[in-house]
Amino acid sequence: MRKLLVAGVGVAVIVGALALTSFRPSTAQQQAKKPDADSVVAPRLTVADSGQLKGPKQPIFFRHDIHSGQYKIQCQYCHYSVADAAEPGIPTLQTCMGCHLAIGGSDSTHRVEIKKVRDAWRQKRPVEWVRIHTLAKHAHFPHMRHLKAMGPNACATCHGDVARMPQVFKVNNVNNMGFCISCHVERKVNRDCTACHY
Amino acid sequence: MSAPNESLDRRRFLKVVGITGAGTAALSGCSTDQVEKLIPYLVQSQDQVPSLPTIYASTCTECAAGCGLHVKTREARAIKLEGNPDHPVNAGTLCSRGQAALQGLYNPDRVAGPRGRNAAGKLTEILWNEAIDQLAAAVKAAGNRVAVISGAGAGTFDDLLSQWVAAVGGKLVRYQAFGHEPVRLASRKVFGADELPIHDFSQAKYILSFGADFLETWLAPVENQRGFANAHGFDGSGMAKFVYVGPRMSLTGINADQWVAPNPGSEASLALGLANAVLNTRTDVPADAAVLKPMLAEYGLDRVAADTGLAPVQIRQLFDEFASVGPSLVMAGGVGLQHRGAADLCAAVNILNYVAGNVGRSVKFGGGVTTGDGYGALLDLERSMAAGEIDVLIVHEANPLYSVPKQGGFRSAFEKVKLTVSTSLFFDDTAAASDLLMPNLHSLERWDDARPRAGVRGLLQPVMEPVFKGAATGDVLLQVAKKVGGALAGFSAPTYEAHLKSVWADLGRARGATDLEAFWRGALAKGGIFEPAPAAPPVRLAATAGEVSGAKPALDGDGEFIFSPYPSSMYHDGRGANRPWLLENPDPVTKITWQSWVELHPETARELDVREGEFVRLTSPAGSVEAAVYVYPGIRRDVVAMPLGLGHLENGRFAKGRGVNALDAIGAADGQGFLPYLSTRVKLEKTGHYRKVAKTEGNPRELGRGITEAMPLAAAVKGLTVKQAYEAAGHPSHEINTELEVEAIEGFRESQLEKRKLGAYALTEPQWGMAIDLGRCTGCSACVTACYAENNIPYVGEEEVLRGRELSWMRIERYFEGGDDGRPISARVIPMLCQHCDNAPCEPVCPVYAAYHTPDGLNGQVYNRCVGTRYCANNCPYKVRYFNWYAYAKKAFPEPLNLQLNPDVTVRARGIMEKCTFCVQRIRGAQHQARLEDRGLRDGDVITACAQACPSGAITFGDMTNPDHRVVKAAKNHRGYHVLEEVNVRPAVTYLAKVVPGSEA
Repeated sequence: MRKLLVAGVGVAVIVGALALTSFRPSTAQQQAKKPDADSVVAPRLTVADSGQLKGPKQPIFFRHDIHSGQYKIQCQYCHYSVADAAEPGIPTLQTCMGCHLAIGGSDSTHRVEIKKVRDAWRQKRPVEWVRIHTLAKHAHFPHMRHLKAMGPNACATCHGDVARMPQVFKVNNVNNMGFCISCHVERKVNRDCTACHY
Repeated sequence: MSAPNESLDRRRFLKVVGITGAGTAALSGCSTDQVEKLIPYLVQSQDQVPSLPTIYASTCTECAAGCGLHVKTREARAIKLEGNPDHPVNAGTLCSRGQAALQGLYNPDRVAGPRGRNAAGKLTEILWNEAIDQLAAAVKAAGNRVAVISGAGAGTFDDLLSQWVAAVGGKLVRYQAFGHEPVRLASRKVFGADELPIHDFSQAKYILSFGADFLETWLAPVENQRGFANAHGFDGSGMAKFVYVGPRMSLTGINADQWVAPNPGSEASLALGLANAVLNTRTDVPADAAVLKPMLAEYGLDRVAADTGLAPVQIRQLFDEFASVGPSLVMAGGVGLQHRGAADLCAAVNILNYVAGNVGRSVKFGGGVTTGDGYGALLDLERSMAAGEIDVLIVHEANPLYSVPKQGGFRSAFEKVKLTVSTSLFFDDTAAASDLLMPNLHSLERWDDARPRAGVRGLLQPVMEPVFKGAATGDVLLQVAKKVGGALAGFSAPTYEAHLKSVWADLGRARGATDLEAFWRGALAKGGIFEPAPAAPPVRLAATAGEVSGAKPALDGDGEFIFSPYPSSMYHDGRGANRPWLLENPDPVTKITWQSWVELHPETARELDVREGEFVRLTSPAGSVEAAVYVYPGIRRDVVAMPLGLGHLENGRFAKGRGVNALDAIGAADGQGFLPYLSTRVKLEKTGHYRKVAKTEGNPRELGRGITEAMPLAAAVKGLTVKQAYEAAGHPSHEINTELEVEAIEGFRESQLEKRKLGAYALTEPQWGMAIDLGRCTGCSACVTACYAENNIPYVGEEEVLRGRELSWMRIERYFEGGDDGRPISARVIPMLCQHCDNAPCEPVCPVYAAYHTPDGLNGQVYNRCVGTRYCANNCPYKVRYFNWYAYAKKAFPEPLNLQLNPDVTVRARGIMEKCTFCVQRIRGAQHQARLEDRGLRDGDVITACAQACPSGAITFGDMTNPDHRVVKAAKNHRGYHVLEEVNVRPAVTYLAKVVPGSEA
């Protein structure tokens, strides 16, 4: 477990070094356990920039780096079933509106995207996100087992440092079985085929 | 959550693998060359967590038994039906037909919304308010010339319907094709009780059935089967003997220890003879039975022998056995033996039960079980319709244009009605001929309740959004009442749901509930309210009890064979005919799929010079039917039999035109309140056609292979093993390894055990195993359907079954014993599935390690490794590996049937081998849950789909290394054996030999 966390931090530091523009420790919020997660301030970007960013363009320029990085919202606040179920859960529009009913955005680039959320809510039209990680149908990945084994910060191991991604992109190919196996070998955990394939 | 995506296509998979091999970069994954969308819910569902099942309690409506359901839903779709363990009727298990209700819910041939006739007389789409206006106007104009045929069982809907019909002054006929009217008539005649009895097998030491197919369609088959297995299964000290009386061995018949086939129609004489024997030999006969003495005295041995045509020695044996063994249980009244004397037969059996002291013990009255007004009432209505006295006819949950024999002219009477309305969910024979289609919601989509017997009130709740634009018929009735006003003005409930809740609020108040909402929620979660039946006064003989006749009933026609149409355990009264699971699941007795057939005795077939598959025409005064012959040793020589349920004119893509309707060869005339199915003699002639019968039976005989083992009760009581029992009987066991072979096997075993000390295989993981008690298994095939449902097994269709390509991971093998060697004919059944061998022969021959042994003792099959060499199947001694020849799954799940697929199990592509996995998805699911709760696996955490469904409780599954697991104890039973043990593959499935009463197996 320790080895993996270190590996995760390593990735985070590299990505962080690229994205870091200034360092401003948060005082209002509780000190996070991981020192590197403290240091995110999301860059100011408009939807026009999203084309230049890695990863597919989404219907709403949702900023993981603002929500998860700058404001340190736990992944599980939105991905609500990740600790209990195989599927992590995609937040419902209601979850978005829980905050964005009140929070309209501090900046014009934010306001225009938040308006899209509010419009969708008013029109009862769910947002059709572009899927980034699609596991092949003959493999089963129980998210909750990995959270249980590696703790709530396990996400970055596969998904990369989403907290610093203005637009989420694929860091690891989850359909490359070697990626799964190398970790399972390293941690001396189940390598049986039918652990995942059935 | 995610947009639907085709499962990984194997060709594309290979292509991608090829690219990887060439080292091309920028590979984006196996199946992501199309953009997939993630579409979240708008509002968080309170009940659904993605990828976790949510289970709702409900009630099955596939027959009148009213079993409780646990509906497993995933992402707001019902994916599997299982029994509700709290329900008193089925106690957690479910039959094939009940499980296949899912294929009714997602049936692609459901009526998608209301339909009306346009000017040209064609059924076209209309709006719901138009349909309701049309019906309301017709009801208003018709006055009291309204009639309803309803197959709905007792419950709030039935109450509402009868009030509604009474308010307009119309006629309500409660009609079920298999209404068991003779049983009810006999209760009235002998005991003055107008109901069907409830049968308690638990105390019975001697079980006797006169044509009652209690394991298939008779009353509550799941409950009967549980009771039967408890009584008839060997419990370490003894078992009940079961004798079946009837012209043909049905599924129930093949489970009998003795089959008695008297002349059809003479069974009442035998029953009365038995009663006479009891009266003459026992001293504990109820005192008031003395009045029957003069009547019963007529039925001495000679009279019974003359009537039945049985050998006097056999009758004497039955008399002696029955009179000396108690308590007993006698049943009668199955559809397959419903001749014109059926009511007398049932009455004779009532008398037999009464003199034997069974009434009140194993046969209980006071449950208030009824199954409608009967066939007689339907024929009365037909006469009114034909006379033009009915203007509006609503047919609800019934299909009389199919289930009433054509000869009777029901169709022409039906066509005389000005407006015929069908609430059927399917384009069945009746719906297709109706003027207005107002499809009901499926029972998994609507609110309702069911009152199958006193003390049991099951609730139905919508487990998901409706798949099609149906409307609950309860709501339709209420809305029509509002439009019509007048006599119907009293129906003020806004919706049927509100009406149901108010009825249940009254139930809550009557039970002293202070918080009615909590009472309602509690009942919903439990599946209803289950209370002990109110104490009923014991029944006594009625004055009419002595008027029972053992006279032989009349048969129509002068053909040389007696025609016996019998109910199919899969299609029931025809409602299962459009469900591919039930079509593909072989008939438990004949193993025939997808077709109708005619059963002939081997000697009859020889005399007529017909072979299996040759078509014969059966001609009776009522009409004729043609079907392929199946030569069946378990039938009388003068009887030909055909299953009911196929031969629909309509009823959807799978049923339409498939097979023939055996009812076409019988008359529709009333036999004092019921349809006499066995009432015709037929002539038999060859047509010259031939079609190979699509059956899954290989050889009907075991040929000494020792696949199913049985031992006599005497040996079982002594605790002998199968081998010891053979030796005790003076026979060597079927195969003995030579000394050299034994040495070689032992040496091999040692070396294998050495290897098992390595790495992950050092037995640190659980070792999954299964035990199947053949003393309890009846061959009903509920496990097979459960396996299809759980494991996304596609049907392959008749053509492919003919080529032997069915994919039934679990199958029931049936072998005949005796019949041609002087021993009486009998049958044995054995569920056959992957044995998960420790020395599996399939594993070393796989060139790509797709078949391999897992550390937890499973024989793994990795679909994405498999390249389809089929070496493994060739090397499997049990033939339980199935090759997916075509992309069966693409064809087998036309929308919306695909919504049923279990998301936890890969839908297999073509070109790969597949087989039983011991429900590995359930094992992994249980392991995940245990890990989340920081505990180890407990017994019962993993229950395979087959074990879960089995109404007999024949299957036990668990960890063979954990002595707390029941399977360990079961597998250590002295009756335990492995199929083909001599090939030394060390299977993980232990079978427990069947036990047969007497001293010979």
